[in-house]
Amino acid sequence: MRKIILLTCLLSSLAFASLNVNTTYSTMGAVAEKIGGDLVNVTVLGSPKYDPHFIVPKPSLLAKLRRADLLIINGGGLELGWLPPLIRSANNAKIQNGAKGFLDMSHFVHMIDVPSSVSRGFGDVHAQGNPHYSSDPYVIPVMAKAIEKKLAELDPENSVVYKGNLDKFLTEWSSYLKTFDAKMATCKDKKVVQYHELFNYFLKRYDYKSFGNVEPLPGISPSSKHTIELINTMKKNGVKKILQDVYHEKKTAKFIAEKTDAKVSVIPHDTKAVKDADTLKNFYNTIAQRICQ
Amino acid sequence: MKKYLYLSLLTFSSLIADTELDEIKQQLKEQQEATQQLETKLSNLEQKSTNRSASFSQNAYLPDMALILNMSALSRDVKNSDYENFAIPGFIDAGDGNLPFNKNRGFNLNYAEFAIHSVVDPYFEAFANFHLHPDEFEIGEAYVQTTSLPYSLRVRAGKFKSHFGRINSQHQHSWNFDSQPIIYKSLFGPDAISDPGIQLQWIAPTDTYIMAGVEALQGTNGRSFGDIESNNLYVGYVKSSVDIGDDLSILGGVSLAHGENTTSNPTDVYGVDLTLREQLGSYSSLVWQSEYLYRNKELDSTTDKQAGLYSELVYQYNNNYSGGVRYDLITKNDTDLSAYNGVDSDNLDRYTAMIEYKPFPMSRLRLSYAYDRTKIIAGERTDINEVMLSLNIAAGAHGAHNY
Repeated sequence: MRKIILLTCLLSSLAFASLNVNTTYSTMGAVAEKIGGDLVNVTVLGSPKYDPHFIVPKPSLLAKLRRADLLIINGGGLELGWLPPLIRSANNAKIQNGAKGFLDMSHFVHMIDVPSSVSRGFGDVHAQGNPHYSSDPYVIPVMAKAIEKKLAELDPENSVVYKGNLDKFLTEWSSYLKTFDAKMATCKDKKVVQYHELFNYFLKRYDYKSFGNVEPLPGISPSSKHTIELINTMKKNGVKKILQDVYHEKKTAKFIAEKTDAKVSVIPHDTKAVKDADTLKNFYNTIAQRICQ
Repeated sequence: MKKYLYLSLLTFSSLIADTELDEIKQQLKEQQEATQQLETKLSNLEQKSTNRSASFSQNAYLPDMALILNMSALSRDVKNSDYENFAIPGFIDAGDGNLPFNKNRGFNLNYAEFAIHSVVDPYFEAFANFHLHPDEFEIGEAYVQTTSLPYSLRVRAGKFKSHFGRINSQHQHSWNFDSQPIIYKSLFGPDAISDPGIQLQWIAPTDTYIMAGVEALQGTNGRSFGDIESNNLYVGYVKSSVDIGDDLSILGGVSLAHGENTTSNPTDVYGVDLTLREQLGSYSSLVWQSEYLYRNKELDSTTDKQAGLYSELVYQYNNNYSGGVRYDLITKNDTDLSAYNGVDSDNLDRYTAMIEYKPFPMSRLRLSYAYDRTKIIAGERTDINEVMLSLNIAAGAHGAHNY
């Protein structure tokens, strides 16, 4: 009897042998959970309440990376300031850049705002283009397909399960997108300014026009000269909406809002960045609701 | 009547035929134009996708390269000629000290450093820091390390800064204060433990981060080691880190360095370090970092037992401003102090405070004040006041720093 129990335990542990998947940010993590289901253990390294450029490279993250079978990164330079030293110190051959267990999602996304020339004199500009593509709900199927392909490559025995999960998810997501687009079609005011160019993919998708940023250059704190210029631009063009993120200071946006009679909306940049954005769908629902209102 | 009808029908049909012909001609012309356009497009694309790079170009494999500049403007209430002959009783005799950084009242160009990093192949990464002082070239570090060993192992070989303790492996430009902690300066000198050798590190397969490492080094550091007959230094350490909630992380370590000193007797240095970091926002944090070092240095007839610590608290207000304080103290100094008869050599300590402004992550201005009570200047115990404005630049492809 005992033998049987032991054997069943062993077998079931084999059957549920799961892949450790680490993602740098939470939206990719949520997609990986949809595709991997029970077969994967997803760990998100960067807390969504912080600036994705400046995740603190805590040593505890090394313990996670050390056991990862797959590391999915956003790419486009977004992790440049914190991830490379962690990968170097995690002593895990599987997740080195170029290894089978390393997936750079930006290689699958059509990047926008690719600068024709790059210099640090322009601030924190990413040579590969704007890396904040997660704000576009149409990127989700792209992520899902890339993750499914990678999981099937790493764990071919379960490839049918991953394919099944993908198909189910894609159907579900395309019907979600239909209602989402219908909802977005009712939004009238299409003029905004942002703190940082975090939402360009969303804005482009739904024909918004961004009239400028609160920060004078990417990664540079607001200056009074730039703030006054922005206020004038907003007044001239009748911009009544400031898209603020969760992690930057909110004083400047509030000041601008007072001068221009505009509204400041805190828009989540990632799943779980605000309380309402607890799931993938709620992440986009929250963006839509807060941009539209 | 019928004739007329036929005639008009005939002309009409010929008219129709004419327009049809024109239409077809027009269509054909359009088709030809479209084909031509497609052909031009195709040849353009073909030209684009054709490899036209120089046949042996390797530009895509250029390593990451950065220039690091460190300089200062300094004011001190001790003359330069007296300051360079400082002594720290029991540790550094007058004239023995080495002052590579911020030595002079007035202006100092401490170094221009050329830092290179590159992936070598699927198995190795290489790093080098060429440290250029105004009149000296030094290979600060130059090593290769593995990227694909199994069992969470990593081997590093070359000249590198030992991972003993907390601050030892970090470069001067990434410290929270410009000056080296007194205990490190006293036991190891400005370069700390930095030697040719080999390092092996392992990370335990646990939920909690536990890392253990051993190093075999040449042991050229004459302050604590320095036996020249053979390689003599072995370093071992265990480091661990836990998070409490999302925002508080604690990193601690114990280290041991065992070597042979210039008298061919053993020296043991023990180190304990603890760092607490509370994240107050994306750009704001409070970091408390402390280290305690104890040295047991056997000489021919006696044994020196010496110890000291530093503790620093740094508050990062936002992405531009931070400020901090540090306290340095020699806690134990059991050694031959007969050379300092009549000079007060107790209570060696130092207070340092700094304010830092970073316009951008690659540049840093730091204003610091130090009240140094560790030094004997011209045979007298002298309390030194120092005010310094330092500028550090990291230009180019400079990688992120470790935690």
